[in-house]
Amino acid sequence: MTKKAVFLVVPALLVLIFPLAFENPYILHMLILSMLWIVLGVSWNLLGGFTGQVSYGHAAFFGTGAYATAILVKSGQPPATAWWGLLVGGLAAALLATFIGWICFRLRGPYFSLSVLALSEVLRLVALNWKEVTNGAEGILFLPAFNDKGAYYYIIFAIAAITIFAVHRVMKSKLGFYFLAIREDQDAAESLGIDTTKYKLISLMISAFFTGVAGSFYMNYMGFIDPGIVFDLSKISIMMILVTMLGGAATLWGPALGAVIYILVSEGFRVYVGSGHLVFFGVLIIVIILFFPNGIVGSILEAKGRRDRRTDNKDPKQVAA
Amino acid sequence: MRKTFVAAVAALAMTAGPAGAQEKVVKIGVPLPLTGAEAKFGEMEKQAYEMAAEEINAKGGVKGHKLSFDIQDSGGKAETATAIVEKFVSINKYPFVVGEYSSQCSYSVAAVAEKYKVPYLVVTGAADKITQQGWKYVFRLNPPSSLYNMGVFSFFETVAKPKSIAILYENTDFGNSTSKAMKEYCKAKGINIVLDEGYQAGAVDFKPILQKVKSLRPDIVYMVSYLMDASLLMRQSKELDINPQAFIGGGAGHTLPEFLQNAAEASEYCMSATLWTPQVKYPGAKEFFDKFKAKFGKEPDYHGVEAYAAAYVTADTLKRAKEWTAEAIRTALAATNMMTAFGPIKFIAWDQFTNQNRMETLVLQVQKKKYETIWPKDAASAKYVYPVPRWRDRK
Repeated sequence: MTKKAVFLVVPALLVLIFPLAFENPYILHMLILSMLWIVLGVSWNLLGGFTGQVSYGHAAFFGTGAYATAILVKSGQPPATAWWGLLVGGLAAALLATFIGWICFRLRGPYFSLSVLALSEVLRLVALNWKEVTNGAEGILFLPAFNDKGAYYYIIFAIAAITIFAVHRVMKSKLGFYFLAIREDQDAAESLGIDTTKYKLISLMISAFFTGVAGSFYMNYMGFIDPGIVFDLSKISIMMILVTMLGGAATLWGPALGAVIYILVSEGFRVYVGSGHLVFFGVLIIVIILFFPNGIVGSILEAKGRRDRRTDNKDPKQVAA
Repeated sequence: MRKTFVAAVAALAMTAGPAGAQEKVVKIGVPLPLTGAEAKFGEMEKQAYEMAAEEINAKGGVKGHKLSFDIQDSGGKAETATAIVEKFVSINKYPFVVGEYSSQCSYSVAAVAEKYKVPYLVVTGAADKITQQGWKYVFRLNPPSSLYNMGVFSFFETVAKPKSIAILYENTDFGNSTSKAMKEYCKAKGINIVLDEGYQAGAVDFKPILQKVKSLRPDIVYMVSYLMDASLLMRQSKELDINPQAFIGGGAGHTLPEFLQNAAEASEYCMSATLWTPQVKYPGAKEFFDKFKAKFGKEPDYHGVEAYAAAYVTADTLKRAKEWTAEAIRTALAATNMMTAFGPIKFIAWDQFTNQNRMETLVLQVQKKKYETIWPKDAASAKYVYPVPRWRDRK
């Protein structure tokens, strides 16, 4: 076993046996939310970090995933539907991504960012007003299939692992190099024969798919969604960006670390600091951004890259990817 | 530097608990939105809980224990509210959960409480569905939103007898649920609904909708709104010179003291459904209002008194419970039958509701820049003005 594999397998095993050792629902709840946000951060990062297409409206895909599954269950399918509904949620989000990406990625600059922002707001209004299908503001209730949190824990662990693995594989493949090329210089990428519209679209589809799966899981786990919860601009779309930036955009593990910080540290402040907790969390974010301008993982890798370059001229970009 | 810090902490710790170790405390978990858009309501409720706890403890507490509410900020987010309750149940081991503000959060908390078989008292979340699930551990102190209008209905039947109505509501769970009850009532009674329109939460320009209202000339304009929209709807109605027989609000925004300031003279004669006013004849209602106003320098509305009453219901339940386990507290809570400043509290089942308190709701009207209770007659503090004078006939 290589050293790198040990670093991966040992923590993974620890995470896996954790629920067996601690059967505390509160702690499991926090870990489940952390892993949910890992999925969200990592999938946003594929598009925003590696491909350089900043999305201000990923709640559109999150909400679409949640609603696709919810509507499926509401239409009288057996509750087990909700589980293969995860796939339906992901595919619905990817389909939506195809539609918006196909239109917007022909353009450059802020058009895509602004279009998804608008898209997520439009979808929120649709979900709010199309009452026959979505129940409008009353939301959709779905009584969770398991009473035991352990089941959800393993399911979201699997989803998070698959997401990270998928992004890792994509970034090691030809696709990944195309994405980086597009991020660095679209004209140069085109002149090399890369169809930028197509590859930006592929990046968006993968990102949207996992975001949709996460939305669908959220619906399964929380048992209740309404348009204000799943299409929220500040609590979903913006937090996905923050989580990525905290940990380090365009690094594999950065968004995951950012997600864990976001969930666990903000909860810690809420419990131990009390009424001023948001101020403390805000200050922490400012401090992180001041001292780790490329995110925590990003800045560490950069420092390591500088040191390596001094010794053997290694390219930091490769380390980062 | 470090020494001063340690000394300061030590001093704080000493002042924090004067009675020291012998004092026994019983803690009850309360999630509330203290930050975010609903913070205003959460803050008022927090003050009411704490004021009630002080009073209860001054009278000797509960079975020799000091009653203390562990109030935690949910930020109005369903997943944070859920996390707080998970923590209350699994780490703090509280046998009883009370509170939350919005329907959305109350609903999520209720689902968690039912799952862990811990009694939960809903205090302000009004959407009907919360007590329509047949849940055994979920109780509700406030009436469901479909009953918010009962006072208005009886006013319609006895006094107003309207023929047509325009219904405007904020497109949220509360707005939908409340306006739905009004629509069903109107359909059953043959009142013509000329307009039925939900608007965006946070909207500021209502003139397009109000123009429609003006051209349809309904007898009643009925609105379910929060604070800003309630004020703006009235101001813009005045500007457009819309003259129905009456403007009626469905609770929430139309009952807040800030509504009187924001809408100013446009609020005059506006009616609203409400759950409570300081003029109700329940024992302690007026005292609560005066004490709260003196202590915090602002007037409480029905949300404040709901929290205040919830604290007393909690103390009463704990006193009657044989032991302080979730099961025994649930049994005691189910047998609650008491009078509070908010009104009589008793949890019963009817229609699809279970463990639901039922009470009379009132109608108030703004008269001379003050809220007056106008309906039902035996609770009225002033006579209603109906139909209301046209805008241009007012001086």
